[in-house]
Amino acid sequence: MSLNTWLLLTPQLLIALGVVCCLLLISWQRSQQLIAWFTLMVMLVTIVATVSLIGQTAVHITELIYVDSFSLVAFLWVLLAGFSAVYMSKAYLHSHLEVHDEFYLLLLLTVLGAGVLVASDHFASLFLGFELLSISLVGLTGYFRHQRHAIEVSFKYLILSASASSFMLLGIAFLYSQTGSLSFVQIQPENADNMIAQMGFLLFIAGIGFKLSLVPFHFWTPDVYQGSPTPVTFVLATISKSAMFIALAKCIYVEGFQTLVALPSIHHALSALAIISMIVGNCLALGQNNIKRILAFSSIAHMGYLMIVLLVHQQQSILLARQAVLFYLFAYLIANIAIFGMLVLIERDRNVGNNIELAHWKGMFWHSPYKAFVLIVAVLSLIGIPLTGGFIGKFYLMILAANNALWPLLIALIVGSGIALGYYLPMIFQLFKQDVVKISHITTWRTRLWLSVIFLLSIGVGILPDVIITPLLNF
Amino acid sequence: MIILLMIALLLVFALLAWSVEKYLIQAPKIIALIALVIVSLLFCFQLFQAEHSFETWTVIVDATWIEAFNIKLQFSLDQLSILLISLTLLLACIAIAISWQEVSERQGFYYFNILCAIAGIIGVFVASDVFLFFVFWEVMLLPITALIAIWGHESRYFAAVKFFVFTQVSSLCMLVAIIMLAFMHQQQVGQFSFLYSDWQQLAFSPETATFLMIGFFIAFAVKLPSVPFHSWLPDAHTQAPTAGSVLLAGVLLKTGAYGLIRFVILLFPNASMQFAPIAMTLGVVSILYGAKMAFAQSDCKRLIAYSSISHMGFVMMALFAFNYNAFNGAIVTIIAHGISSAALFCLAGMIYHRIHTRDLARMGNIALSAPWMAGVTLVFVAAAFGIPGLANFIGEFFSLLGVFAVSPLHALLATLGMIGSAIYGLRLFQTAFHGVKPDNTATKIEDLSIREGAICLVLAVLLLLIGIYPQALLQFTFQGGY
Repeated sequence: MSLNTWLLLTPQLLIALGVVCCLLLISWQRSQQLIAWFTLMVMLVTIVATVSLIGQTAVHITELIYVDSFSLVAFLWVLLAGFSAVYMSKAYLHSHLEVHDEFYLLLLLTVLGAGVLVASDHFASLFLGFELLSISLVGLTGYFRHQRHAIEVSFKYLILSASASSFMLLGIAFLYSQTGSLSFVQIQPENADNMIAQMGFLLFIAGIGFKLSLVPFHFWTPDVYQGSPTPVTFVLATISKSAMFIALAKCIYVEGFQTLVALPSIHHALSALAIISMIVGNCLALGQNNIKRILAFSSIAHMGYLMIVLLVHQQQSILLARQAVLFYLFAYLIANIAIFGMLVLIERDRNVGNNIELAHWKGMFWHSPYKAFVLIVAVLSLIGIPLTGGFIGKFYLMILAANNALWPLLIALIVGSGIALGYYLPMIFQLFKQDVVKISHITTWRTRLWLSVIFLLSIGVGILPDVIITPLLNF
Repeated sequence: MIILLMIALLLVFALLAWSVEKYLIQAPKIIALIALVIVSLLFCFQLFQAEHSFETWTVIVDATWIEAFNIKLQFSLDQLSILLISLTLLLACIAIAISWQEVSERQGFYYFNILCAIAGIIGVFVASDVFLFFVFWEVMLLPITALIAIWGHESRYFAAVKFFVFTQVSSLCMLVAIIMLAFMHQQQVGQFSFLYSDWQQLAFSPETATFLMIGFFIAFAVKLPSVPFHSWLPDAHTQAPTAGSVLLAGVLLKTGAYGLIRFVILLFPNASMQFAPIAMTLGVVSILYGAKMAFAQSDCKRLIAYSSISHMGFVMMALFAFNYNAFNGAIVTIIAHGISSAALFCLAGMIYHRIHTRDLARMGNIALSAPWMAGVTLVFVAAAFGIPGLANFIGEFFSLLGVFAVSPLHALLATLGMIGSAIYGLRLFQTAFHGVKPDNTATKIEDLSIREGAICLVLAVLLLLIGIYPQALLQFTFQGGY
C-alpha cells in the first residue's frame, strides 16, 4: 500500500492525532481556553486537508475503507458542523465554573466516528464508526450531570442506542449468512434476494433508522434533543444524522444492494418509513412550544424527505441522488448552525438555562434585527422557500422523485411541507411580535462576523449554487 | 438589462429605506416613492428605446443561472406583461400614497416590504424561464405575508398563516408540474430545460397534458381565487393593512389571471379547451357565490373582498370561453377590477382611519359631513357594479358577449351576478354614507384631504377613461388573442 493511498485518509488521521494530543494536553495542563482553541485548530487544519483532497481518484484503503469525493465532501460537512459545535461550546461552556476539557475530547471522538462512518465500505468499519459516534454522544448528552434531565437523557440515549446497534448487528449477521461477505462491494445480487437477506436488510435499516430518528424509531428524539446541552443537540442534529445517512447511502448505492432495494417488499418498506416520517414528524411538531422539541420533530420529517434519494432505481439517477444528498445535508446543516448558534446566544443573554421556548424569541426582530434576520432565513430554508439552500435541496428531491415516478413520496412531501408551515410560520411571527421586555444583546465583532458568514452562506447556496457548492459536487 | 436593473433598484432602495429609518423617521416613504418614480421612468425608457412592438413574447435578458439544471435568467416582455407591469407600478404608487399617514410605526421595514413585493410581482410578469417565474412567484409572497402579519388588524397571524399555507401548497403542485415538463424536455431533447419557448415545442399525450395543466391550474386558481380555493382571500384582505389590501386585490390576484393565460391556456391549449366547461362553471359559481357572500357581510373590507371573488370569476369564465371578445373582456376586467377594487380598499382604509371600525352597522350618515368622500365612493361603487361609462362595464360586457356565443347558459347565470353586485354595492354605499347610525350620535368626520382626493381622482379618471375610450386598452394585440 503506497503512501498516496494513506494520503486520502489524512483527514481521519488528523482527527485521531488530535484526540491523542488532546489527551496529552489534558494531562499537561487543564485549561479550557487552551483546549478549545486547540480543538478549533485541529478542525481547521482537517478542513483544509479535506478540501485539498477533494477531486482525487477514489481509493480502497484495505477492505474496510473506501475514500472517494463523495465521502470526502460528506466528511467536510461533518467537519464544518464540528467546527461550529466547538465554536458554540466555547460560548456555552464559558458560564460554568468547572474546567470542561473532556467535552472537547468527546466532540473530537464524535467527529472521528463520523469520519469512519462516511468512509466505510464494510460492515465492520460501519459498525466501528457507529459505536464510536454513539458512545461519545452518550457522554456528551449527559455531560452536565447536575442539570435536571441530564441522567435521564443520557440513559435513554444509551439504552436505545444499544438496542439499535444490537438490531443492526443481527441484521448484519443475517446478511452475512446469505452473502458470505461483510464488504459492501462483494455482496452479490444473485444470493441476496431471499427472505433472510431481506430480513437482515430491514433490521440493518432499523438500526440506522434509530439514529436518523425515522418514524417508528423516533421516540428518543424530542426528549434527548430537549434535555441535552444545546451544542450537543446540534451535534446530534447534524453530525450524527448526516454521517449515518451518508453511510446508509453508500451502502444502498452499491450494485449488490441495488437489486435488494429494488425488490418490491423492501421498496415498499422504505417508502412507508419515509412517508410516515414525513407526515408524523410534521404533525407532532405542531403545537410544540419548546424550540428544541420543534427542531427534533422537524428533523424527523427532514430525514423522511431525504429518504427519497435512497429509493431511486434508475442507474443514471444515482449520480444525481448523491449530489442531492450532499446538497440537502449542506442546506440543512447551515440552517441548523444558524438556529442552534442563535439558541446558544439567547441562552447566554437571557440566562434561561437549557429550555428555550418560542416566547423567548418574541420581538427579537425589533431589538436585534440582524440576528432575527439570520434566523428567519434559516427557518425559510427549512421550509424550502426559493432563494435559500433549502429550496434547491427540496428541488433536487422533487426532481428525483418525479424522474423515478415515486408519486406517493412526492405527495407526502407536498402534504408534509404544507403541515410544516403550521409550526415554522409561528416561529417567524414570534420574532415580529411586540415584546415588553427589552433584552440587551451583547454583540461582539466575532459574533457579527459569524452571523454574516452564516447569512451569506444560506442565501448564497440558494441564489448562486453554481458558484458556492456545485464545484464540490461534480465528481 | 433594464428589467433586471429595475428589480435590482427596487431591492436596493428597499434596503435603503429600511436602513435610514434610524436616522430620519420620515425618509422611508420618500425613498419608496422616489424608487417607484425612477423605476417607472426606466420602464418607459425600456419601452420607447426598443424597436419591437412586443406583439410576441420578446426575450430581452438572457443569461445562465444554474448550470446543473440548465436554468436561465431569462426575461421577456409582451403587451400583456407591459400592461400588467404598468398597473403594478400605478397601484404601487397608490399603495405608498395611501400609507403616507396611516402607517406610523416601523416605517422603514414597512416600505422595505412594499418595495420587495413590487420587485417580486414585476419579476413574475417578465420571467420567461419557468423556474425563475416560480422563484419570483414564491418570493413575492413573503413581503405580503409580512405586511399582513405585522401591520394587519386583529387576527392577523391567523390570516397570514392561512394565506401562506394556501399559496405555498398550491404552488408546490405547480412545482411538480414544472419539474415534470423539464423532465419531459430531457427525455425528448436530451437536456433539462425550463424555458417557456422550449416547452412550447414539446409533444405530449392528451392525458399528460391534462395532468400538467391541472398542476398549473390549481396554483393559479388559488391565487385568482376561484371558488373551492377562495377561503384565504376574505381573511387576508380583511386583516391586511390598506396598502396590503390594495396590492393583494389590485395586483396579486392578477398574477393568477396572468398565469392562467400564460401557463395554462397558451401552453396547453388543447387540454384547457377540454377542461373549459369545468373552469367556466367554476367561474360562474365564483361570480354568484362571491356576490351572495358579499351581500351578507357586515365588515366593509370583507364585503369588498368577496366582491373581488365575484369579479375575478368573470375573468376565469371569460378566459376559458376561448373567444376573441371574451378574452378582450377578461383583459379589461383585469385592469378595471385592479383599479376599482384598489379604490374601494383605499376608501375603506380612509374610513377606518377616521372612525376606527370596519363594521357597516356602526357607520352611517357619513355623507352629511364628508360629501366629497360620498361622491367618490358612489363613483367607485358604480364602477364595481358595472355602470356603463366606467371601465368595469366594458370588461364585463365583452366577457358576457363572448361567453354568450359559446355557452348562453353560463352567460345568463353570470348576468345574475351583475345584478347581485348592484345590490351589495348599493347596500355598502347606503348603510355607510346615508343610513342612520344605530346609536343616533352625530359624529362629524373629516372630508378627504388633498392627498386622499388626489388618489381618488387619479383612480376615478382612469376608470372613466377606460370606460369611455376602451380602445385605449383594446388596441393592443395580445398574444393570446386567438
